[in-house]
Parts: sequence; structure tokens; C-alpha cells
Amino acid sequence: MKAYVRQEGSCQVVVVEGSADVAASARLREVLLGALDAGATQIVCDLSKTDFISSDALGVLITAYLKVHGRGGFLRLANPQPRLRELLQTTRLDHLFDVYPDVASAAEGA
Amino acid sequence: MPEPTADIRDPTGWSEEVLPTRLSAIRESERRVLSRLAELGYGEDCRFAVRLAIEEALINAMKHGNRMEESRKVRLAYRVLADRVEIRVADEGAGFQPACIPDPTVDENLQRPCGRGIMLMRSYMDEVTYSANGAEVHMVKYRGSPVRGFPPEGRRR
Repeated sequence: MKAYVRQEGSCQVVVVEGSADVAASARLREVLLGALDAGATQIVCDLSKTDFISSDALGVLITAYLKVHGRGGFLRLANPQPRLRELLQTTRLDHLFDVYPDVASAAEGA
Repeated sequence: MPEPTADIRDPTGWSEEVLPTRLSAIRESERRVLSRLAELGYGEDCRFAVRLAIEEALINAMKHGNRMEESRKVRLAYRVLADRVEIRVADEGAGFQPACIPDPTVDENLQRPCGRGIMLMRSYMDEVTYSANGAEVHMVKYRGSPVRGFPPEGRRR
């Protein structure tokens, strides 16, 4: 898995490429919490190239979501592919996270 | 899709691996099982479901069963047949009662960062059963079954 941050407007876009399995969740935690430590309050997770996600990595997303909400910001998900979208529905985490079809609409919240 | 082929390498079809309690060891075991599924023509949706179930079962065995004590072992057994995939995962922990795990899909638990492994295994596999003490799980996925075993709607509140 490759995870990195890029700036898009006022948002920090966290791009997750490949499999966010348990072995990769430490890297995901490092990138997401690193962005939070740097003061990010508007985070979009770009899942367009994420082909797998474990419960461990979901836990990392939830932890980051709670932290950023605690400071009045947001963490939104952009463009999860069909299997991940279904997994979000199965876990009902689509009721926790706002899920958008692409990064631009996630950044705008529209 | 190729015609299903029976596993004839072993009369019982079971292969077994013994893993140390180390999360980084999971990926290689998954790869071996998934390549066997691919050899027998199981599709991507099924491979996704089986990967997720193995991952969650091994994480649970290492974290909750073996308490991340590396000297403790996890046994992964699997067989890939023409009509189904069977997975067994056993740890060396004291076991647990699966019925006591809170439902992670109800509103009050959605913000909990953990506790989704068993629910995912049950959702993506067709059969999930535990030994009496909970230290071994047996899972079955049938060829051609839906990716999700059941929708969560019935359990929402």
C-alpha cells in the first residue's frame, strides 16, 4: 500500500493506493495522524485506488475521523470502488462517514 | 471462467500453515490461499471475501486470542475445492464467547474503532462456526454465492 498527502485547495487529500490490510494500517495511521498533528482540519481520503481494507484500517479511519471532528473539522471519503463501497454499507460506516463520488465534491461537501 | 477442477493433490484437500503471532506474517499466507483460489477459477469477488475473512480471523487470533505474544502460534488450515473454500483458524488463547461481542453496526457502536472482525467474517462467508471455547473458527464460502452472506439491514436500529 502507498499512502501520501497532497494539498487540494483548503483540504489535505490522503491518497490510499493498493491494499489497506493490517500490515499497512500502521503506515495509514502514520500518514493520517501526521496530517492531524500538522494541524489539518479538512481531510479527504481518496479511496479511488484502494482495492482492499481491513477492520484494522477502518479503525484508523474512525480514530482520525473522531479527532478531526473533535476540533470542528471533517474527514470525508472519496470514490470508494464497488467492493469497498459495499463494505462500508455492510459495516454501516456509510452512516458515520460522508462518502462522495470524487475528491472535488468531497472537498466542497456537495 | 474455467471449469471447476477438483483438488486432487491431497485426498482431503487440506493444507495447513503454522504462523507466529506477528501481523506482518498474515499477508503471505493470504497470498498462498488466494493463488489457490485463482488456480481453481474462483472470481475476484469471492477472492475478496475470502481474503477479508482470513485477514480478520488471523487478526483476531493474534490480537485477542494470543494477545500478541509472538511465541504463541496460529494454525491456518484451508482447502479449496471445486464447489467451496474452507478455512480454519485456531489460536492458543483461552477462547471467548462470540455471542458476547457487541454488534458493531448499531448506531451506538459505529464510532468504535474496533470490533468489526467477526461481523465481517459472518457477512462475507456463507458459514462461520466456532469451537466450544471460541479458540477455533471454521468458515466456508461456496462458489457462486453472493459476496455478502446477508445484508445488515435486519439488524439495524
